[in-house]
Amino acid sequence: MLKIENLHASVAGKEILKGINLTIGAGEVHAIMGPNGSGKSTLANVIAGRDGYEVTAGSVTYHGKDLLAMKPEERAWEGVFLAFQYPVEIPGVNNTYMLKAGVNAKRKHQGEQELDAMEFMQMIREKAKLVELDQSFLSRGVNEGFSGGEKKRNEIFQMAVLEPSLALLDETDSGLDIDALRVVAQGVNALRNAERSIVMVTHYQRLLDYIEPDFVHVLADGKILKSGDKHLAMELEERGYDWVKDEAAAAV
Amino acid sequence: MSDLTLDFSTLPGDAGVQALRQQAVDTFTRTGLPGRRDEDWKYTDISRITGTLGETWWLPMPTEISVTEISDIEGLDAYRIVFVAGVFQPESSNLPDTIQLKPLSALLTEGADEPSHCLFKLDESAPLFNGFLATNSALASDGLCACIGKNIKLDRPLYVVHVGNNTAHVLNGLMLGQGAEVTLIEHFVGGDSAGAGLSNIATYLRLQDNASLTHYRLQMESAKQFHIGRVEVKQARDSRYTLHAVELGGSLSRTDIVVKLAEAGASCDLNGLFVASGRQHIDHHTRIDHAAPHCTSREQYRTVLDGRAHGVFNGKIVVAEGAVKTDSAQSNGNLLLSKNAEIDTKPELEIYNDDVKCAHGVTVGQLDENQLFYLKSRGLSETEARQLLTFAFADEILTAMDNNAIRRFIEKAAFAKLPNMTDLDGLLG
Repeated sequence: MLKIENLHASVAGKEILKGINLTIGAGEVHAIMGPNGSGKSTLANVIAGRDGYEVTAGSVTYHGKDLLAMKPEERAWEGVFLAFQYPVEIPGVNNTYMLKAGVNAKRKHQGEQELDAMEFMQMIREKAKLVELDQSFLSRGVNEGFSGGEKKRNEIFQMAVLEPSLALLDETDSGLDIDALRVVAQGVNALRNAERSIVMVTHYQRLLDYIEPDFVHVLADGKILKSGDKHLAMELEERGYDWVKDEAAAAV
Repeated sequence: MSDLTLDFSTLPGDAGVQALRQQAVDTFTRTGLPGRRDEDWKYTDISRITGTLGETWWLPMPTEISVTEISDIEGLDAYRIVFVAGVFQPESSNLPDTIQLKPLSALLTEGADEPSHCLFKLDESAPLFNGFLATNSALASDGLCACIGKNIKLDRPLYVVHVGNNTAHVLNGLMLGQGAEVTLIEHFVGGDSAGAGLSNIATYLRLQDNASLTHYRLQMESAKQFHIGRVEVKQARDSRYTLHAVELGGSLSRTDIVVKLAEAGASCDLNGLFVASGRQHIDHHTRIDHAAPHCTSREQYRTVLDGRAHGVFNGKIVVAEGAVKTDSAQSNGNLLLSKNAEIDTKPELEIYNDDVKCAHGVTVGQLDENQLFYLKSRGLSETEARQLLTFAFADEILTAMDNNAIRRFIEKAAFAKLPNMTDLDGLLG
């Protein structure tokens, strides 16, 4: 479903990603772990299409299409979703209005009929329950005055509404206490299905206790150094990242 | 220019009024019009007015203006007072009979009327006093005059429409007695001729103890029109004044808002929105005087400037020595949609005692890239995302309007002006 080959990317002239190779199948959950500054968030942002990241080499193929040639909104219409590490506050832009515009733009792109206001409201009320988001949040400005935990829940709520086929969760667990993490993880787990792939970028192994990944990758210094299953995450928790780096260095 | 005489001999008014007109002429002869050397007029070049209208810029030009053009604000239930080219139109108006309200022209021709005298009396020491105000006092022959009695809550807003592309000097006075409550809507619109003139509008507002006035000032003149306004508010104990000033129209528009919180417990709330494009020039100078203890002022101005539009905002707040426990906050946000748009903004605080709470902030910028990306990542197109953020920026000012008919009307008018801003149905739904 997603195939990343030899991806190199720079930010402000500095190379951050130095040849990423990663293949993600439909319905798989991948965790990308790594120390700070390893390029985890850069990878998520390059896939979502944020400005300021220059791809210098390599390719990203999504459902057989060249993802890098698409504008951010086109990626969204094709089913790519990014849950932001730091969701921005947009005062005055109504949460529901934004989602309705997004959902209908996607439906239009896919040749489906746009939802009317009634159908849409019914749908989002259902989805809000999934992450225990109070109904009052629906009519508030996007993330306006939300606490850290509320912002992260709002991201997963939006994921539920937009029904992506590829969801990138950029440190969705950071800054959450256990109870909030449990709610967010429940939401994500409820959204797992055979068609939907999920990439979780995280710093903490703790997240993986709640959302069990099919694959775990260690990203350090712009490259994936090691891949495995959930046992790799446990090993990382115990031993840190240095041994992976040493092992990779020895292999060269 | 100062050697030209303003001729008021044919204008109405008894000897007292005529004497005050003569004083105004003398004042004008002395002061002339403000120039760019005046600090308060540094960014607003009025040679654009005099250059277009000529040496006798103050003279109305005889043109026919059809009143059929006046469009109502949809859903607005109000008393209507119509002026065309500065002249009251009884047949288009619908005056309340429960209060003392008359056009100035009627008061002036009915003979001696003391209250109307005071409107003509100039105070040269008043903040932002200038030659336009003197001209207004010398030449005004019509306007709205009303006194709202003690504890009267007017059941509907007073909707005052000024129509015309002509030159007119309009003088308005509204006095609210103790505990009175009124909503005043001043709406300036162009007629259907393509001519240009100067709307020179002075509005004096007096609020007695515990009175409450909500004032909408909607400047939507036609494209070539010049607009010079002055709103002077004097507030007694515990009175409350709320202004919603919207600037959309005209070629050059300058309004001075001068509020005096004269007695303890008075509060004012000034909300301003400019949406300008093309070569429009819009300037508001506001001045709030905290002259007594325990007064509150809030001021929030936003500008959205496109094309080569030029905005000027000057917000001066003066807190007197005795005005302890003053609570004042001012903010000014400016959104520049084009690289040729310009804003000159200046908050000025003068505080003469230590026991005050004063906050102010200014921002100038383009749309936020992070917000744009966020919206696009949710599937909104670049155009939609820009529309939405621009709308949201300006709408924060409009949310303070408690009259929904006006709010909706202004939202539509404001956003119709901006590029790619025509499809608002879903947004305003």
